[in-house]
Formats: sequence, structure tokens, C-alpha cells
Amino acid sequence: MPESIPQNAGFMVAAYTMAAVILVGYAVLLYRRTRKP
Amino acid sequence: MTLLRRGRWITGVALALLAVVYVRALAYTPVERFQGPAQKIFYVHVPSAWCAMLAMGLVGIAGILYLLLKDPRFDRFGEASAEVGTAFSLVMLTTGPIWAKPIWGTWWTWDARLTLTLFLFLLFLGYLLLRGAVTDPGLRARYSAVLGICGLVLLPFIHLSVYFFRTLHPQPIVLKPSAPSLPGPMLFTLLFSFGVFTLLYVGFVTQRYALALFRDQAELGGGGGRDGHA
Repeated sequence: MPESIPQNAGFMVAAYTMAAVILVGYAVLLYRRTRKP
Repeated sequence: MTLLRRGRWITGVALALLAVVYVRALAYTPVERFQGPAQKIFYVHVPSAWCAMLAMGLVGIAGILYLLLKDPRFDRFGEASAEVGTAFSLVMLTTGPIWAKPIWGTWWTWDARLTLTLFLFLLFLGYLLLRGAVTDPGLRARYSAVLGICGLVLLPFIHLSVYFFRTLHPQPIVLKPSAPSLPGPMLFTLLFSFGVFTLLYVGFVTQRYALALFRDQAELGGGGGRDGHA
């Protein structure tokens, strides 16, 4: 068992940010494409 | 309710639930003691990989049905599912290396699982490029169906690659013959995330299908507006 929990929260934040940017970005892109006249 | 509006509603609900997944995973799910907070990347990485594989599987099945029935709805669905699958595989391919760096000490390694998932992403891109390059709708649908079926054949190799080859990638912990090997709160978060990502896939595909339908109606000269009745 490790003596202390690894301190790598920065990687977690980066991954969750990337996932949100891609998924919300794609949702916005789809919304804009379907709104075009 | 029209197809497009239904897709927007599903996507909106799924994005709201995605925020709940984030809160649940980041604030209310225990930290794994060996990997630390980076282990929580798992709650977005694994469901996005599931959606990418689901998308490619359905592209392949739609391809088979198109070749058998020549129904353009299957071609349209394949097109929609491939584009959405590209987005999910991009999430998988970005979150995976971000997890790997603190855990393995490297962003990327050319082992079987990672190489095959990269190949899946390239197959999605190839599918979309092929559709853009072929102008004849009949030929485009046929070529796309064949490429989609190739993608479907790839899926079992991706899932089983961790058994067939020596790989750094962890073994399956949910989709395996025995019971899932995760503590209760972690398993709940993962399964909740699976459900939300799948709902997001459905919302995206519904909207993208409606978009393809508008294009086809416009190409036929019928107009049809943007009400998206399939």
C-alpha cells in the first residue's frame, strides 16, 4: 500500500476539461449546423 | 415533436446529466489510493470508448442492412453515427494519454489496444472522408457500407486485444465474464456515466440524422423545410 495518495489532480482536471470541450463543442456545432436556413 | 427538436431535447437533457456525472465523479466518488485523482479519468474515458465502439458497431450493422435492403435511411444513419463516433473516439484518445502519463509514465505506447483504438479513430475519419469524396449517392452509400462493415469486424479485436496480446492497458472490469470488480460507489458512478454518454450519443445521432435528412430532401428538390419528419 502506498504511504500517501499520488498528487496528480491536474491530470484529472485536464482530462475532464478536454472531454467537456469536445462534447459541448460538438453539441454547439450541431446546433449551429441545424439552424442554418 | 419533430426529429430535430427531439434530438435537441435529448442532447440538452444528456448535457445536463453530464454535469451531474462530473459532480458525482469529482466530488462524491472516492479517490483510488494507488492511482490517486487521475483514476477518476476512467469515468469519462471508458464511457467515451464504449460510445465510440457502439457508434462503429451500429455503422457496420446499418451498412449490412443498407446492402441488403437498399433503404437510404440506413445510409443516413451510418453517416450520422460515424460522425458522432468520431467525436467520442476523440474524447477517448485525448483522455487516455492524459491518464497514462501519471500512471504509466508515458503519454502513449504502441501496444495492441492503443494502436487498435487509434485505428478505429482513423477508420471513422476515413469513412467521413470517403463520403465527402464520392459524389454519386448510390456509390457513396455502397462504399461507406463496406467500410462500416470493416469497422464492425474490428470491434471484437479491440475488446479482446488485452487478452490476446501483452499490453499495458488494464483488463476489462465491467464487460467481462465474471462480476464487475469495482467498489459500489465507483461502479455506480461508472454505470451512471455509461447511461449519460449513451443518451448523449442518441441525442447527437438524432440531430445529425435530421441534418442528413434535410440535405437529402434538398438534393431531391423537395425542400421539406427543417421539420425533420423521417
